[in-house]
Amino acid sequence: MASEIRIDPKLLAEFIKLNKNIMEAPNLAKSLEEIDLETTPYEVVYSEGKVRLLHFSPLVSKQVKTPLVIAYALINRFHILDIHPKKSWVRHLLNQGIDIYLIDWGTPTQINRHEGFDDYVNGYMDNCIDFVRKESLSDKVSLQGYCTGGTLSTVYTSLYPEKIKNLILTAPVIDGRRDSTVVSNLAKHMDVDKLVDTLGNMPPELMYYVFSILKPFEQGFEKYLNFFKNIQDKDYVENFIRVEKWVTDTPPIPGELFKQWIKYVYQENLLINNNMYVGGKRISLKNIAMPLLTQVAVGDHLVSPECSMPIHYAVSSEDKTMKIYPTGHVGMIASSFSQKKVLPEFAQWLTERSEK
Amino acid sequence: MSISPDVKKSLADYKHTSLFWTDLLYLMSNRQQTLTATGPFRKLAVNSKKIAVETIEMNEDMTEFNTRLSAYYKQLSDTWNDAQKEYSRKVPELPNDIEHMDASKRVWIDIFENYFTKLFDSSDFSENFGKLVTSELEIAKHWNNMTSALLESANMPTKKEMDEVYKELHSLRKRVAKLEKISNKGGS
Repeated sequence: MASEIRIDPKLLAEFIKLNKNIMEAPNLAKSLEEIDLETTPYEVVYSEGKVRLLHFSPLVSKQVKTPLVIAYALINRFHILDIHPKKSWVRHLLNQGIDIYLIDWGTPTQINRHEGFDDYVNGYMDNCIDFVRKESLSDKVSLQGYCTGGTLSTVYTSLYPEKIKNLILTAPVIDGRRDSTVVSNLAKHMDVDKLVDTLGNMPPELMYYVFSILKPFEQGFEKYLNFFKNIQDKDYVENFIRVEKWVTDTPPIPGELFKQWIKYVYQENLLINNNMYVGGKRISLKNIAMPLLTQVAVGDHLVSPECSMPIHYAVSSEDKTMKIYPTGHVGMIASSFSQKKVLPEFAQWLTERSEK
Repeated sequence: MSISPDVKKSLADYKHTSLFWTDLLYLMSNRQQTLTATGPFRKLAVNSKKIAVETIEMNEDMTEFNTRLSAYYKQLSDTWNDAQKEYSRKVPELPNDIEHMDASKRVWIDIFENYFTKLFDSSDFSENFGKLVTSELEIAKHWNNMTSALLESANMPTKKEMDEVYKELHSLRKRVAKLEKISNKGGS
């Protein structure tokens, strides 16, 4: 008697549909090369080496005099803050009448390998902020730092508190000892001296490895399965390709800066203990006395909330707020949730504390 | 997983023997090379010994790299097997129809994600991974040194020399920026 294999017809139909979607995908989705990630117009108002200061064109009349300077992270590029017109961090704030400048760190090459915190904070950041103060006729600016940009912003504000009116830290990397992520686990066992001596800058391939082991099955399998399942949904596909393009494009990190960041923040944990020195000056978090907003995400698998939250308790600001959101590292800045919840609260907090 | 004392000893013997013969052959052929290789190409003949030494040392580091790489793959495959076993135990409990396909897939992903996240969070993994990268960097260092020997022979700047230029430029930029700040403030 021949054995019979029974397959649920619904299962077969589902399988055929998925295959059809895979075949049709090239006709329905753009390639990464065909996507332009820049959605909101800006002007490059200042540049120094590879670093550019972008000034976004206002979309409505200015409601707030104090300009906002955003220090983006050192990993990937700033486009995530303006990834899609409907999910753009920048566009949302422009629509609230906030004047926005953004520091784009550019693409460092070997010539930048000796640049460290001193060059980034006392050089690039300070020059950019001085430029904004001069151009906007404001003594002080509001400063927002995202991820590693949050670390740089914290160090900057500790050194130049007189130039900062409000400080906003979004998933900042602060207390490496408390960080429970895979990134931190790898960072703690890295021979960073040898890496920098041999390779110069931290290469993008190694950065990409670290990201690829974060949720490898969800991000490496399910995500793509869902993409093919939703291939007929134009908005979904557009957003997917935009985020993928952003994820795969990460610049190298200058060797000296990477070395200091891994050692000072993850291995020796100097920043939170007020023992970090930049340009010969000690970074005391007590110097941060202006209003502070700390934003953390419960599901952040790149910078765990325990790593960011200690800044709230370490500063001497009396006006300080901590917001904890049920989302992830990217979800906090580029998602529908961010537009509905994170940004309205951010804009309100900032507007209330800025010069009109 | 680390290299056993026996393997270490035989590696040391191999290294010693290789270096001895490299030295001796170099010395024995030195006169003839000097006579036959003239002008700038003489440098290549001299540097050929450097390249031979780097190759011998690289072989030694390759052993450490292979040991670390094997341990890395073992960690991955052991974790995969453990996750697969757990999923196989769960399979009989899962309804086998299209309505529950997504739920089954979710269970599979959750199990594998949990096992692998546990691995990546462990100090065993990060220690071995750290040593794996370090051994790879050692190999890259030898490769850099060999490339430098060739560049030197061709009278071209080496990585080390270029780095000296970058360092000098970096320091000059800092000095210029400092002077600019002083002059903008009208100081002296």
